[in-house]
Amino acid sequence: MKTLKNKKQHKKEGPEKINGTLRRIEQQLDQAADKSEDSSSDYDFEVVDNESLSEDEGPPSESGSEQSEPSGNEDVVSSDDDDGNHDDTRNNRKMDGGESDDSREVIEESDSSEDEVAPRNTVGSVPLEWYNDEEHIGYNLAGKKIKKKERQNKLDSFLASADDSKSWRKIYDEYNDEEVELTKGETKLIRRLLEGKAPHADFDPYQPYVDFFAWDDSKHPLSNAPEPKRRFIPSKWESKKVLQLVRAFRMGRIKFDDKPKKESNLYDVWADDSSLAERQGLAHIPAPKFKLPGHEESFNPSGEYIPSQEEINALQLIPEEDRPKFIPQRFELYRSVPAYDKAVSERFGRCLDLYLCPRARKKRINIDPETLKPKLPSRKDLKPYPTTCYLEYKGHKGPVVSVTAESTGQWIASGSNDGSVRVWEVETGRCLRVWDIGEPVQQVVWNPLPELPLLAIAAGQDVFILNTGLGSEEEQKKIEELLHIETPTAPDDSDKNASLISWGPDEKHGGIRLKHFKTVSSLEWHRKGDYLSTLMPHDILPPTLKSVLIHQLSKKLTQRIPYKLRGLPVSSAFHPIRSIFFISTKKDVRVYDLLKQKLLKKLEPGVREVSSIAIHPGGDNVIVGSKDGKLCWFDMDLSSLPYKVLKPHKKDINKVSFHRSYPLFSSCSDDCTAYVFHGKVYSDLNQNPLIVPLEILRGHASADGRGVLDCKFHPRQPWLFTAGADSIIRLYCH
Amino acid sequence: MDIDGVEESSRQVQVRFVTKLKPPYKAPSTTLAIPTNITRLRLSDIVNNILEAGFDDWQYQPFDFLIDGKFLRISLEDFLVAKGISAERVIEIEYVKVVAPRREDISLHDDWVSAVDGSHDGYILTGCYDGLGRIWKDAGICTHVLEGHTGPITSVRVIKLKVESAFNLVATASKDRSLRLWKIDAGELAQPKKTRAFKILKGHNAAVQSIASQPSGEMLCSGSWDCAINLWRANGSDAGGDIVSVKRKKSRGDEEPQSEEEAVSTLVGHTQCVSSLVWPQHETIYSASWDHSIRRWDVETGKDSLKMFCGKAINCLDIGGESSALIAAGGSDPIIRIWDPRKPGKYDPIFQLSGHNSWISSCKWHNKSWFHLVSASYDGKVMIWDLRAAFPLHVIESHKNKVLCADWWKDDSVISGGVDSKLCISSGISVE
Repeated sequence: MKTLKNKKQHKKEGPEKINGTLRRIEQQLDQAADKSEDSSSDYDFEVVDNESLSEDEGPPSESGSEQSEPSGNEDVVSSDDDDGNHDDTRNNRKMDGGESDDSREVIEESDSSEDEVAPRNTVGSVPLEWYNDEEHIGYNLAGKKIKKKERQNKLDSFLASADDSKSWRKIYDEYNDEEVELTKGETKLIRRLLEGKAPHADFDPYQPYVDFFAWDDSKHPLSNAPEPKRRFIPSKWESKKVLQLVRAFRMGRIKFDDKPKKESNLYDVWADDSSLAERQGLAHIPAPKFKLPGHEESFNPSGEYIPSQEEINALQLIPEEDRPKFIPQRFELYRSVPAYDKAVSERFGRCLDLYLCPRARKKRINIDPETLKPKLPSRKDLKPYPTTCYLEYKGHKGPVVSVTAESTGQWIASGSNDGSVRVWEVETGRCLRVWDIGEPVQQVVWNPLPELPLLAIAAGQDVFILNTGLGSEEEQKKIEELLHIETPTAPDDSDKNASLISWGPDEKHGGIRLKHFKTVSSLEWHRKGDYLSTLMPHDILPPTLKSVLIHQLSKKLTQRIPYKLRGLPVSSAFHPIRSIFFISTKKDVRVYDLLKQKLLKKLEPGVREVSSIAIHPGGDNVIVGSKDGKLCWFDMDLSSLPYKVLKPHKKDINKVSFHRSYPLFSSCSDDCTAYVFHGKVYSDLNQNPLIVPLEILRGHASADGRGVLDCKFHPRQPWLFTAGADSIIRLYCH
Repeated sequence: MDIDGVEESSRQVQVRFVTKLKPPYKAPSTTLAIPTNITRLRLSDIVNNILEAGFDDWQYQPFDFLIDGKFLRISLEDFLVAKGISAERVIEIEYVKVVAPRREDISLHDDWVSAVDGSHDGYILTGCYDGLGRIWKDAGICTHVLEGHTGPITSVRVIKLKVESAFNLVATASKDRSLRLWKIDAGELAQPKKTRAFKILKGHNAAVQSIASQPSGEMLCSGSWDCAINLWRANGSDAGGDIVSVKRKKSRGDEEPQSEEEAVSTLVGHTQCVSSLVWPQHETIYSASWDHSIRRWDVETGKDSLKMFCGKAINCLDIGGESSALIAAGGSDPIIRIWDPRKPGKYDPIFQLSGHNSWISSCKWHNKSWFHLVSASYDGKVMIWDLRAAFPLHVIESHKNKVLCADWWKDDSVISGGVDSKLCISSGISVE
C-alpha cells in the first residue's frame, strides 16, 4: 500500500530522468515498506514519515478498492482526479516556488515542449548527502543557492496531511526540495509498470491477428516442389570461375601486391602545392621560383659578405643595369631592419612577369640533323661524271662567250669577245679553224645534224651561218647548195617583220648572213637542223615587231613568233621531241605549242632574273639558271612552280645545260666554278627526278668580274666543256 | 772478295749477283757480304767493280737490281724490311742494265706529229698534222715525204711484207676520211723524195682514227669516227707487180696511177670513235674505242668474241707482254691499264700503272721484252715502264707539250712525236 504513495509526477521528463526517478521511488517504496512493517512510529526519515502519515490519512476504502479491482473503476476515478489535480499542482507550485519563479516561468513558457523542462537544481546527479549539512540543496539556473525549506514541524505536517485528502499521492522531491503531487494518470501508469503490464492503457497486447497475406488462390506458400539438387551440390560455374582465377594467378596475370605500399613519410617542405599542378593537368607549368635568399641577405651577414667602402664606390662605376640589386648590410638587431622599400615594386614586377609571359610547354624534338638530310645516293655510284680537267683549248684573245660541240663529239666551236670563232679538235686541243667575225660574238651553235656541219654565229646584229668544211665531199656539195643565195632576198611582202631581216651571202666567210634590226643575243637550232630561232632583247620595240624570230634555212624564210611577250626574252629553246618552243624572259618561262599556236604553260621560277634555260632530253623537265645564283628544276608535268631550287653559286649563273644521254646537268657561274649535278628522270611518272650535286669544277680564273661564261656537255662522253672569261676553254673528263 | 769502303756499315748481308745477261756482263756467282744500308748506285758500283776485274777494257755500265722479281729503288735494308725478306740467308740479286736512253735526237716537223711507227728497223714512219707522212732514216735524215692527204694524218703503219721486195709498204690514215698506201723504195737521196700514194682506200664516213695491218701484211684494218672498223686488202698480191711496173714507167712524169679501193668488209659494233686498233694474230683484231670498250674481233666471222668495258674513253691499245697476250690501254685518264684476256670472266685490270698527269695518248709494248712498255701522255712525258716495278723506269721529258704518239724503234730506242712538232728519238735503251 505504501508503495503506491511514492509516485512522481513527471512522466514528461527525459527517459533517463524517468528511470532515475523510478529507481528512487522504488528505493523509497522498499524502505517505506520495511519501516511500515517494523513500526510506523519511526520518524527518522522525513519523507517516510510524511508519507506514512499521509498514507494513514488517506481513504482506505479507495486504496482497498484499488487493490481489489485495479482495472475496474480506473477510468472513472482518473477522469475526476485528473482535472482537479492539475489545477492543484499548479497552485501548489505557484505557492511554494516563490523564489524560483523564473525557472517555473521558463517551464510554463514552453508549453509545447514540456520535455525540455530543466530541473530547478543544477547540481546534477550527485549524492544528496553532500548537502545534508548545508542550508541549500543546490543552485538554480541563475547560479543562486536554492535554500532548503524550512522544516515543518512533524506534527504540523502530519496534521496538514491528515487534512489534505490528497496527501497520499504527494511525493517529496528531495532533489528539488519540493513536494510533487502525482496525478491520477501517473499513479495508474506507475501501477501498471509495477504490475509488469504495458505502460499505456490503450495498448492491447492481445488484439486480433490481421493476416495481410493473400491466401486466396495459393494453397501452398510458394512452391511445393522439392528442393532441387543443385542447392546441395557445389556450383559448377563457381568452380569454373575459381579455376579461372587460379589459372590467372598461376600465369601471373593477376598479381598481388604482397608488400603494402609504403607511403614515404618524407615530403618536400618547400615544394609548391602539387595538388594544384595535378588539378591543372599535364600542361600546367609551375611558375618559376624566386631565388631563395642567401647568406648575404641575412640581417646580420658574416663579414665576408659586407662590401667595403671601396667596393661600394666601385659598384657605382658599373652601369645601372649591371649593378647588383642588393648590397648586404649589417644590423645589430632583427627589429632594426627597415621595411624593404622595393618589396611592392618587385612583387608587382614578378606578377607582371608571370602574367605577361605565358608559360607554354615547348615541344623540343631531339633529332639528329644528319637524319634530316635527304638520303642521296653516294657520288661513287653515280659515276661517270666530269671531275678533272685534262685538256685546255687555248687560243682566244678575249673571254670565250660561247662553246658548242659537234654532234659526234669530234669538234667543238667557240666564240669569243675578241670577234673570233674557232673550231677545235676535242681529242688533241688543236685549233682547226679561225673565223674573224669582227664583232664580239654572242653565241655559237653547231647544227645538230651530223651531216650538216654548220655553225650559226650571232655577232652584233648579224647571224652568220657558216660552213665548217668538215663533212665529206658529197655533204659539202649539199651544204654549198644549201648556203647558196643568189641575191639578197627582196623584202618579203607577206610578213612585216621578216622584211626587216635580210638573207644574204657572206662573201668574207662563205656562208649566209642574216641581218637583223637589233642585236641578236641568243640562237637556237631546232633538232632537225632546219629551223633557227633568234632572240633580240630590246626594251623599245615597235608593237608590230617581235623580238623572237624563227628562220628556216632550207627556204630562207623568216617567221615571227606570234605571241605577246612581257619582259625581255633571255633565252629560247626547242623541245627535243615535240613542236614546242620555250622562251624565257627575265621573270618567267613561257611554253608555246608551235602547231596549235597557243601558250601551253608559264613556268614561274620566282628568281630575280632568269639567265638561261635548258631542256632535258626527255622534254618534260626544264632547268632555269638565274642571276642570283639559283638553279630551278621544273617538272613540267608536276607544276608551274619549281620542283627543286638549288643555290649552288654565289654569283650569277651564266649557263645551264643538260647532257644528251647521261643523267647529268651542269651550271656555270661568274664565281669561276661550274657545278655538275646528277639529274635522273625516271620513266615511271610517279617517281620524282633524283637530283644530286656531284662536283664543283674549278680552274677558271676570273677576268673583269666574270667567271665561267658557258658550259656544254660532250654529246657522247660524260665530259664538260667550260668557256671562261680567262679566254680558255677547259675540258673536264671523268 | 774484299770490297772497299764498306767498313762503316753496321750490318752485313750475304748476297749473290745473278743475271741473264750475256757473258761480258756476267759476274762470277760468288757470295759477297755487303752492308745493308747500300743503295742502287752503290750496288751498281760493286757489280761494275766485279766485272771490271774480269775484263780489261770495261766501260762503266749502270745496272738496275731486282730482288725476288721486284725492282730495288730504296736502300737494301728498307727493301728487305718492306718485303719481309730474311737477311740471314744469301740473297740473290739479279741485275739488269738500266733502262734509260743514252742519247736523244730530235727531228723537226712542220706541224704536230700525230703518228709514229718504228716497227721497221730501217726507218721511222711519222704522220703529221700538215697531212704529210715522212720517212726518217735516222734522226734528222728524212728520205721520203708522203704527199696526198688533204687532212691531218692520224695514224701510220708499216706493213710487213713476207716476201722480200725492193720496196716497203706503208699505210697512212687521215682525217680526210681516207687511207693511203705508199710504196717506199730505198731512199738514197739527200733530198727528201716526194712520194705519192699508189692506192687510196675510201669508205669511211668520218675521220679515220687508227690503222693496223695483218701480221702477214695482206690486210689492213682501220677505225674511224663513224664507229666502224673497215677491212681492206693491203696489197693486191695479184696486181702488185703490175702496179709497181706502172709506177716505175710513169715515175718520170708527175702523174702516177692511184687506184681506189673499197673496203672488203666492215666490223660493226662500236658506238663511238674507234681510236685504236691492233692486229696481233692472223685472225684476231683488237680494237679500242671512245665508247669505253675494248673488243676482240674474229676476222673470219666478223663478230666480236670479247668485250671489255673499262669506264673510260680509250685512246690507245697494244697487245704484248707475257706471251704476247696482255692488253695495255690508256685513255682519258692518267692510268695505263693492263688486262689479261686469258683469264675467263674477269675483266679487272691486272696492272694499273699510274704516273702520268693527263690523258694517255699512246702505249706500246716492247717487241721482245715481256715487261717493258712505253707510254706517252698529254702531260708531255714519255715513260718507260717495267711491269715488275710500280713506277716508271725512265721518264723522257724532252717534249714541251702534249705527246701524241710513241713507239719503240730497233728494240733500243723510243721514238715519240708531239704537239711541239718534234720527233724525238731516245736511243741506247738497253732492254734485255
